[in-house]
Amino acid sequence: MKRSTDLVYLHQVSKSFPATLRGGEPIQILESVDLTVQRSRAIAITGNSGSGKSTLLQIAAGLMGCDHGEVWFEHEKLGEMDNRALSALRSRRMGFIFQASLLLEDFTASENVEMAAMIGGSSKGEARDKAHEILSLVGLSARLSHRPDQLSGGEKQRVAIARALVNEPAILFADEPTGSLDEGNAAMVEDLLFSLVRQKEVALLLVTHNLSFARRCDEIHRISERNLEVIG
Amino acid sequence: MNPVSRLLTLRKLGIGANRAARRRVIFNIVLITLVVSILVLAQIFVVSMSRGIADKWALLADGHLQLYVDKRQPMIEHPSIETIDRVGEVNALLYSPDKNQMVRVKGVEQSYFNDSRLAQLTITQSENASPSTLAKIMISTTLAERLAVKIDDRLALMLVSNDAIRAQLCIIGALYDTGYHELDEQLVFCDLAFLEHLFTSGVTVYYEVLTQERNLETVKGDFERAGYMATTWKEQNPALSGNLETSRQAVLAVMVAVAILCGYFISELSSQMVEDDKARIATLHLIGAQPQVVRRAYWTAVMVITTVSIALGTALGILFARQLPPLLATIAARSYSALSFYLLDFPIRVPVLDLSIIASVLFCVSAVSVHLSLRRVSAIDALSCVRFD
Repeated sequence: MKRSTDLVYLHQVSKSFPATLRGGEPIQILESVDLTVQRSRAIAITGNSGSGKSTLLQIAAGLMGCDHGEVWFEHEKLGEMDNRALSALRSRRMGFIFQASLLLEDFTASENVEMAAMIGGSSKGEARDKAHEILSLVGLSARLSHRPDQLSGGEKQRVAIARALVNEPAILFADEPTGSLDEGNAAMVEDLLFSLVRQKEVALLLVTHNLSFARRCDEIHRISERNLEVIG
Repeated sequence: MNPVSRLLTLRKLGIGANRAARRRVIFNIVLITLVVSILVLAQIFVVSMSRGIADKWALLADGHLQLYVDKRQPMIEHPSIETIDRVGEVNALLYSPDKNQMVRVKGVEQSYFNDSRLAQLTITQSENASPSTLAKIMISTTLAERLAVKIDDRLALMLVSNDAIRAQLCIIGALYDTGYHELDEQLVFCDLAFLEHLFTSGVTVYYEVLTQERNLETVKGDFERAGYMATTWKEQNPALSGNLETSRQAVLAVMVAVAILCGYFISELSSQMVEDDKARIATLHLIGAQPQVVRRAYWTAVMVITTVSIALGTALGILFARQLPPLLATIAARSYSALSFYLLDFPIRVPVLDLSIIASVLFCVSAVSVHLSLRRVSAIDALSCVRFD
């Protein structure tokens, strides 16, 4: 039963994909999955490769629909929202970090963050101020005018974190955010991510196969056999 | 404009972008500019040539207006009227020792060759003219070649009328060349008094009025209201003026068709931009950008490129056209037989209306086709940025 304090609420969510492009017997990825993310809580989803971790995150963020079940974000049912409303929701209430930084190559670090701020409704001046502030929080105040191809992998991921948090979202969806980084950079990005999430009281839905990373969250769920189980 | 659209537009235009992006924008501008400049050049060429032919006919063959009156001088004043000349005309046969040619002999007074008319032809006078009592006529170099005669040679002018056949020996006092052989090969000038004296009954005498082309119908109306019988050069030569107008319109239609194709090509350009930027657009969708904001940015960028290219192409086309007269003069001097029926000596005139039509069609077709082609932006799934990586 959805409570008014729940930020993200998945109820009996099922998802399958066609076996081939031409159809065929669908492959069931998720079956009757329930998940609740409360405000300011960090939830980790772990599981084997191909178990459906990323699919679950994408469904929870409204990036992908589900076959059965309901997905709620705050007081709204995502399945009933149109694309425009979903875009608006993503820009103001959600932040995203993926394994790849997904920065816009033609834009500087500052502009990448400013762009997200402006999409979130800030004026140009406000966006610049916010971008500079958050980039200094992630330790990149000296890299404001650098383009992605002038940044290291760790720096790019820090810009991605800054971009995800610039609009002070209610939740951060992170899908293997350190998956492409070396050990040193991964640890640094992990620390930064948790420090900012705690500082800004943002909920976190983290998909990772790295258990030590997952253990820093408030709850750990594991996808196994198309179902979700709490393991910590 | 939305600040997101604005920033995206500037980057798509290469402002603040890397060198490769700037090169792509410049390449597209150069490509469209070249197409537009060729369209503009072709249209200017055709219109200038048509008007050049029209001018030669109007100024040398018929006048803008022909007035048939009994009075010695038409009594009407109009600010648009440049000159009114009394002329006589007769059809005759011109004989050289070896050949003959049917010609239109035009008797004119001294004042006939004013600056406007002199600008339409080049006259070569005899350098060592021996005194002669024979009447002097002026034929064209084209006709001289056809009759195998030269300046100072003698020719027989024969009028065939219902009453009689009358021949008169003449001397070629000068040669002229308008550059338009179709006119040159039939028009012969002589003194009006001589013509009237020789062919009293067969000469048609009328007044040629030179006026501004754009006021032609007004002036004609004024004359008609004053009781004169007036005919415009277009009415006098319906086939020629009709052909010139049809040619101009046909070429304009072709240019408009090419402009439409060019507009379609520009939409392909925007499609390619979107195709290249799929991952970037998906990322923008992921972080919450509304598809219409992204579409507006791409539309604005492509239309800025189009507008700049149209402006540059038009300027370049006009610039190329201004360089045409010396080139055409060189070609004309070589006397290529294949070009003998083309006018190669005409002033360049910029047909503002035609160019505006071509530019407007290109702009409007581009605007609509780019708008339609950018609908695919909405279809780019936010998640595809993860798949592209």
